[in-house]
Amino acid sequence: MANVLFIVWRESLEAVLIIGILYAYLMRFPHGRQGLRFLWSGVAGGIGLSMLLALATLHIQDDLQGQRLQYFQTGMLLVAAALMTQMVLWMHKYGHTLKRNLESDMDKALSSGRLLGVSVVALLAVAREGAETVMYLYSLGLENKAGGWVSMFGAAVTGFVLALATAWAVSKGVRFLSYRTFFRVTGVILLFAAAGLLVSGVSNLIGMGVLPALMEPVWNTSMILDSNGRVGAIVAALTGYRSQPSLMLVLIYALYWAAALGWMKWRRGGGRTRVREESQPSRSSA
Amino acid sequence: MVSKSSGFSTHARALRWSLLLLSGLFAGLTAAPVMADLPVFKLIIKDARFNPQTLEVPAGRKFKLHVKNEGPGVEEFESTDLNRENILPPGGSLEIFLGPLEPGTYKFFGDFHPDTAQGRIVAK
Repeated sequence: MANVLFIVWRESLEAVLIIGILYAYLMRFPHGRQGLRFLWSGVAGGIGLSMLLALATLHIQDDLQGQRLQYFQTGMLLVAAALMTQMVLWMHKYGHTLKRNLESDMDKALSSGRLLGVSVVALLAVAREGAETVMYLYSLGLENKAGGWVSMFGAAVTGFVLALATAWAVSKGVRFLSYRTFFRVTGVILLFAAAGLLVSGVSNLIGMGVLPALMEPVWNTSMILDSNGRVGAIVAALTGYRSQPSLMLVLIYALYWAAALGWMKWRRGGGRTRVREESQPSRSSA
Repeated sequence: MVSKSSGFSTHARALRWSLLLLSGLFAGLTAAPVMADLPVFKLIIKDARFNPQTLEVPAGRKFKLHVKNEGPGVEEFESTDLNRENILPPGGSLEIFLGPLEPGTYKFFGDFHPDTAQGRIVAK
């Protein structure tokens, strides 16, 4: 039972965390509420897609179908990583202009393109974790252990509720942060999560033989934290950590961070100049 | 508006892609006979356990892993060390190509039964 609770909690947590951050982003905008329906429709779509994915996975007849599904899942991972990264970079550029409440910036911020991005990120997050959870629960049903189906279902629901509670607690905690710190913290969380998705996607591509490993493993830190273990797997999902990574993974991970951080450093200079030009001299940011 | 230069670059692009496809096909075809000579190792998933739990494989060589899930539940062959994450419904089986591996221990596990479904590949 504890196992069921922990697994459902773990699977739900990543999706709930991402959706929570998206929700917080939207609510920071004066007219953000209008964007919420994009978020919730993304969640709904994700639930639907997770059922389809679970069905597809459990009905694979041959290796070719299995491979096609893996390509699709890898695509989902890489698209999600790209969208989340883009979102953070965009927020980094426009985040500090939000306080000044310029009409043009608001329109830009809540353009349907941006909101569609929010919707898709939510959809992919829910579909990803949801499919695993659905298959896990289905598997439990098949095994029909002595504990009973009802208590197992109860443990699953509890795990999910705990994930919601964890996200709620985190959201209450971050309320004490200043505007700027909030965006910085959530930005870091999302970038690491995106890096984690990127690593998973690239790992799949290496496993499918699409990308070469180059050299494996580059290091072995499994005595410190094994990414195959319980805690290690969570760290792996949220950061992209691997205890025995291949050179290809290490290179792509390094490139990702160099690109993301480099972009932000470059952009920051341009953003500041714009603020100085347009804002009143007496105004100062918190 | 279609300019002369765009027409040329389209041809060049098409040529490049066809060459790429051809070389990919060639590589795939020449690789096929090599795949057939690979050592095969069998792994059974049954009652939330891997059998055998430790697999000894030759280091530095490609090999095939034939995994079969004899049920009753769904299981996953997952390893962050080996870059694999494959779900197997009960009754399902899968051929996984692995290696060449440096000498060492590579853990794998079944995400659906993390307590009992643990195993490792030892490359010597």
